[in-house]
Amino acid sequence: MRKSVSERRRSIALHAAMLPLALIWLFPLWVMFVYSTMDDNGIFSQGVVLAPSDQFAANFAALERDVGFIRATVISVIVAFVYTLLSVALTSMAGWALASYRFVGKGAVLATILGTLTLPYFVVVIPQYVMVARDFGLHNTWFALIVPPLFNSLGVLFTRQTFRMMPQELFDAARVEGVSEWRIFLFVALPLARPTLAALSIILFLHSWNNYLWPLLINSDPSMMTAPVELGSLIGLTKVSWGGIMTGAVILTAPMLVLFVALQRHFIAGISAGAVK
Amino acid sequence: MRLRTRTAYAFLTPYLLVFLAFWIWPIVNSFWLSFLNTRTANWTFNPQVTWGRLLVDPAFANALKNTLLILVIQVPIMIALATVLAVLLNSPALKARGPFRFAFFAPVVVGEVAYAAVFRLMFNEFGIINKLGMTAGLPAVAWLSEPTAAMAVIIIALTWRWAGYNAIIILAGLQSIPDDVYEAATIDGVSKFRQFLFITLPLLRPVIILCVVLSVIGTMQLFSEPFLITNRGGPGQATETLGLFLYRMGFNTFNFGYASAIAYTIAALAVAISLLNLWIGREREQ
Amino acid sequence: MRRTELACATLAFALISGSAFAQSGEITAWSWNIAASSLKATVPGFNKQFPDVKVTVEDLGNQQTFDKMLAGCAAGGVGLPDIISVENHESEIFWSQFPDCFVDLKTLGYTDEIAAKFPDFKRTELEVEGKAYAMPWDSGPVTMFYRRDFYEKAGVDPASLKTWDDFIAAGKKIQEANPGVSMTQADINGDSEFFRMIANEQGCGYFSGDGQSITANQPACVTALETVKKLKDNGLLIAGTWDEKIQANKAGTVATQMYGGWYEGTIRSTAPDLSGKWGVYQMPSASADGPRAANLGGSALAISASSKNKEAAWAYINYTLGTNEGQVTMLKEFGLVPSLPSALDEPYVKEDQPYWGGQKVWVDILSTLPKVKPSRGTPFFQDADKILVAAQLKYLNGQYADAKAALDDVANQIAGATGLPVAE
Repeated sequence: MRKSVSERRRSIALHAAMLPLALIWLFPLWVMFVYSTMDDNGIFSQGVVLAPSDQFAANFAALERDVGFIRATVISVIVAFVYTLLSVALTSMAGWALASYRFVGKGAVLATILGTLTLPYFVVVIPQYVMVARDFGLHNTWFALIVPPLFNSLGVLFTRQTFRMMPQELFDAARVEGVSEWRIFLFVALPLARPTLAALSIILFLHSWNNYLWPLLINSDPSMMTAPVELGSLIGLTKVSWGGIMTGAVILTAPMLVLFVALQRHFIAGISAGAVK
Repeated sequence: MRLRTRTAYAFLTPYLLVFLAFWIWPIVNSFWLSFLNTRTANWTFNPQVTWGRLLVDPAFANALKNTLLILVIQVPIMIALATVLAVLLNSPALKARGPFRFAFFAPVVVGEVAYAAVFRLMFNEFGIINKLGMTAGLPAVAWLSEPTAAMAVIIIALTWRWAGYNAIIILAGLQSIPDDVYEAATIDGVSKFRQFLFITLPLLRPVIILCVVLSVIGTMQLFSEPFLITNRGGPGQATETLGLFLYRMGFNTFNFGYASAIAYTIAALAVAISLLNLWIGREREQ
Repeated sequence: MRRTELACATLAFALISGSAFAQSGEITAWSWNIAASSLKATVPGFNKQFPDVKVTVEDLGNQQTFDKMLAGCAAGGVGLPDIISVENHESEIFWSQFPDCFVDLKTLGYTDEIAAKFPDFKRTELEVEGKAYAMPWDSGPVTMFYRRDFYEKAGVDPASLKTWDDFIAAGKKIQEANPGVSMTQADINGDSEFFRMIANEQGCGYFSGDGQSITANQPACVTALETVKKLKDNGLLIAGTWDEKIQANKAGTVATQMYGGWYEGTIRSTAPDLSGKWGVYQMPSASADGPRAANLGGSALAISASSKNKEAAWAYINYTLGTNEGQVTMLKEFGLVPSLPSALDEPYVKEDQPYWGGQKVWVDILSTLPKVKPSRGTPFFQDADKILVAAQLKYLNGQYADAKAALDDVANQIAGATGLPVAE
């Protein structure tokens, strides 16, 4: 009897701590949403108003008129899809090679990939930019937007881990029957790795969708701007209202939140893969 | 396993090509660049204006100071909070776990630009934070034009964005701790709080250290938040971080040589601090 | 014989008109804020003469235009538009690092005769070794924009404000008579605008006229920085970015804005309901008979070497900047101050301006223009300016012994960043 009372007390304390904290955490998202439905007079009005208004369409129209936000969003979607597809392909192939074969230079390859884990991206951004933009003149191209960021060590380590945990007898049986390594990889290993690939894809898609610095640097042509760069360029200027900026933020964020709710398990698997070593 | 060098490299080649072209080569090239004076039409060898300047440049010292400040204040607050969140979210007594998880994990999917815009607006002098504060009888704060307040905004924003991310990793670590460890302790009458201190925390140490290392690397290249929220490291250079300083040297004053020297310094610091963390972690395990 | 003559004449006419009227295609220009708006404003007039050229103006914001331009030039001119706006004092980094990124306008028809029409202080930074990389656009004779009603309420006559001490005394009265109003506003957290305006007035800048040495710690600059601190310490100057100033103008919480003459258009277009309440007067000086003219901002237009339609781009620039019609359109609509002196003889300049309470503001704003002293930007302007902004903030917070100590530190830092010597 006493025990259950103390347990109830503990449960109340737990919720009393968590509820306000959760509300604080949700607050910026709520503000983003509410302000996307207001004009600037509403946002900067005297009192505290946190209920949605009806200016979303007007804000969106202003945003589209001034920066062509739809085009930028389409570019972002294309880049994110192609990037995810290529990156998953590249890293899972590499992960497969590192998991399945003994070969000359394996230790060196693995060590180098692991070594880059602790290297900040900023070490390469300057020379990467000099090379892609200045030496090759690939500014404002799809290639420059998609290919240089393809490298990531997380994908390789994550898929390698997955392939190593699979029963090797399965692959050996196929080999005995004379199935080629490519077919084993494509038709036996990859289908088995589906949960890993799903988690990886989601994380990579998110990464590309939100990527800011590289597209900011490599694009000078407004017709090749991605949505985050376009939105970032409005912050601190007078030409688009805060309501318009919040509308852009909602457009960038809402699809990811829906994805997150729908695919939470994969998201979490992808993020905690950082812990898998 | 049979030696299969050719097959292996057939699988590895596309990845390695990107790796070599866009990572290894730039890293090597960057080293060479860091010795050049790149501010003239023809780039010439002159380490005095890159490495030499780094040693005496007060702007670099300022950026380093700001970055270390965030490292020392924000990272511990965030990791502690993430650990507590993970433990509470893992508690069987918690009702409505889904909505709670959503609240703390959702920031993970919000892009830097979107959340920077929201925080800049919230902490505007006429923004919602000051309005709420004044309703509660507090004076208005010029959040983005007071050096200390601006740094506080950056720290708050970072914590909001990344606490959930770290909580996810720590939660994964928590769930890998077998239940029978706690069962035994409960039978022995050890309180929940002591269980947390003496069982959970020690078992979580490797995961927490991983979070710290990831946060250190992230902080060393912090860029978007001070770029967007405090308007390029303002007020003055009060929130200019190493990442932002590097951007400014590289892309505002077009000093690629100097920027490369800065980049190498950032990398060296990140590796050194990460190794230090790992070393501390290992030391205590024994 | 006659036939041949006629044929020749026809052919000649066809050739001449061909070069003038056959321009066609699309050109794009990058600019910011009201500068972008004013470029858009000249397009209809331009299209009367060149109906087949479609001009698109993109407003990227000031800093981003600069960033993108550097990035584009570094990429060998890829992704640049045909026409680029550049502020005079920031322009030299382009000609010194990327001389091949821009067209020598002389090859397109910018003759020495046309160039000679512009004042020297607008040309020095744009022409290097006989090449003209950009054509002067507007300038920014510094002007005090003030709220008539606030001044009147405190019984302050702006014409009597000859020195900064007068300004401070008046500011105290004005703030007392108008609760909640600040005397003036400056972006002391992110910009050096007040320092640069007062320093230029007093004859000082970051660099010497030849751009070969650092002069940021000369006595006139010390005076300028001390003046900024005096304003702040007397509680007359509050911090405000470009946006916040506009908010304050609209909300009526500031009595005076000191800016280049081009701010006329910003006030007029962002606070239309305050018509009749604003006026202008000349900036005060360090002493009663000291200089009262300075310049802030002012830009130029250049054509990128990668432009596919250089002739059309030149035609547009020459119409917009080289004709009275183009220049006056920008003045009327957005208050951009023409660099072309002949445009100043246009009747519009001498008219009473209803928004400004019937004041002939352009006569007042432009009267100081001939007295402006040149201030060299050099390729290192961005380095120097950032250093000053940081030191200024520390100085205002009392972290230096005095203004001289702050500026000595600034000069040494600029020397470290640029390799130039500090002038004796």
